[in-house]
Amino acid sequence: MSANFLQLKGLHKKFGSITALRDVSLNVSKGEVICIIGPSGCGKSTLLRTINWLSPPDKGQVILQGEIVGSSSSSKLTIEQSKLLNNLRARMGMVFQQFNVWPHLNVLENVVRAQVVVANRDRKEAESKARKILDEVGLTEKVDEWPDNLSGGQKQRLAIARSLAMDPILMLLDEPTSALDPELVAEVLSVLKRLVDKGMTMLVVTHELGFASKFGDRIVFMDGGEIIEEGPPEKILRTPKTDRLKQFLEKLNITSLKG
Amino acid sequence: MNLEYTIFINYAPTILLGFWLTLKIVVCAISLGIPLGLFLALGRRSNFVIFSFLSTSFIEIFRNTPFIIQVFLFYYVLPFYGIRLSAEYVGILALAAFGSAYFAEIIRGGIDAIPKGQLESARAIGMTDWQAMRNIILPQTLSIVIPPLTNQTLTLIKESAILSTITVHELTMTGLMVQGETFRPFEVFIMVALLYWALNETIATIMRRFEKNINKKRESGSTINSSGILKQSENIR
Repeated sequence: MSANFLQLKGLHKKFGSITALRDVSLNVSKGEVICIIGPSGCGKSTLLRTINWLSPPDKGQVILQGEIVGSSSSSKLTIEQSKLLNNLRARMGMVFQQFNVWPHLNVLENVVRAQVVVANRDRKEAESKARKILDEVGLTEKVDEWPDNLSGGQKQRLAIARSLAMDPILMLLDEPTSALDPELVAEVLSVLKRLVDKGMTMLVVTHELGFASKFGDRIVFMDGGEIIEEGPPEKILRTPKTDRLKQFLEKLNITSLKG
Repeated sequence: MNLEYTIFINYAPTILLGFWLTLKIVVCAISLGIPLGLFLALGRRSNFVIFSFLSTSFIEIFRNTPFIIQVFLFYYVLPFYGIRLSAEYVGILALAAFGSAYFAEIIRGGIDAIPKGQLESARAIGMTDWQAMRNIILPQTLSIVIPPLTNQTLTLIKESAILSTITVHELTMTGLMVQGETFRPFEVFIMVALLYWALNETIATIMRRFEKNINKKRESGSTINSSGILKQSENIR
C-alpha cells in the first residue's frame, strides 16, 4: 500500500452563508476503501464532489498520485489545467445517487461513448470492452435495451460499468444505494464488493453500515462540514469517542429497528 | 361572387415565381437562424460575462421590437455603413436575426429542461463542456425543442410576407402586383394563401414524422415531450 495515493489538504467550501466543508484533510492509500458517514447536510457529498472538482472548493488542494487535481479557487482554469483536470476526472469514476445514466443512448452506448470521446479509443475496442464490463456487472442481456426500461438497480450497475470502462484508479460513490428499493440494494452492493476484492480504491458515501463495517478499511464520520472521527470500522461503530457520533449511531439504530 | 378561373391559370406562373423566392429566402434565413440561435443560447448560458451580455442583449432587442421596424432598420441603415445589399439579402438577414432570437430562447429552455445530473455525469467522466453538450445534452434537448422550433419556423415563414414592404418580390409582393393588374383580389390572395398554407403544412408534417422517429427510438414513455405524454394518456384510457 502506497500512502499518499490521494491527498486532500485543508478543503473549505461555502455555499452562501452555509459552510459545507471546514478544513477537511484526508490521506488515502492505494486500495483503501473509505466509507463516509454522517447526518444529511454534513458535507459528505460535497466532499466527494470537490475531489473531482465538480464543485471546486474555496480553499485547499486535492492531489491524486502526486498530480494536483486543482488548488484553491481556480475556478477559471487555463486550457492546460482543464485538459489535465478532464484527464484526471476520467481516472476517477463517479457514481451518483440518482444514477444519471444517459437516457438517449442505449445500454451499450452508455458505456462506449466516453471511451470514444474522452479516451479516444476506437469504437470496436470500446465496444468489446463495454460488453466485457457489462457482463461483469450482470447486464449482458440488456446491452441493446434503453435505460428507461431498466430497474433502479440495473441503472446503477450500468452507471458503475460506465465508470469502470474508463479504467479508473479511484471510485467516488455518492450514496450509490440510497435511491433504490430495498430488494435492489443487494445487487448493487455485490457489484461493489467485487470491486473491493479487486483492490479498487474507493470513497463511498453511504448509509449501509453493514457494507461499511464489512468492507470499509476506514470509516470517516462527518458533521457540520468537519471530519469528527475516523478510524477502522469496529472502533468507530463499537466505541465512538464523541457524543455527536454516538447520537448519530443511536439514531441509525433506532431507524433500522423501526424499518 | 363569381370566380374568374382564368386568373388562376394565367397568373399562376407569376405567383409561383414569387413563391419560389419566398421559399429560397425562408430556407436561407432558417439555415442561418437556427445555428445562430444555438450560438446565442449557449452564449446566454456562458460564464463569460461579455459573451452572455452580448447574447442576451441581442435576443432581447430582436424579441421585443416589431419585425417590420427591424426590417426597415436593416434596409435603410445598413447602406449608411457602406453595406449595400440587395433587398433579398437584407430580407434574409433580418429574418434570420429575428428568428434566431426566438430559436435561442427555445433551445435555452430545452437545455435547461435536462436534469443537472446529466451534465455532471458527463463532466465527471472527463468530457469537456463542449463534448458534454454535443454528446449528452443537445441530443436529449432535440426531442423537447422540435415542436416549438417547428412552430417558430412556421411563424417565420408567415412573417416573411413583411419583406414585401422593402420591395422583395416574394409571394405577398407578387400577389399585390397581380392584384393591381387584374383588380381581382379574391382569386389572387386565395392563391397566395393556399401556397403559404401548403408550405407550412408540409413542413409541419415532416417535422411530426421526424419527432415520432426520434421518440420511437426509446419507447418506454418517460421522456419529456408531447407525444410521450400522449402515449401515456392513451395507455391510461
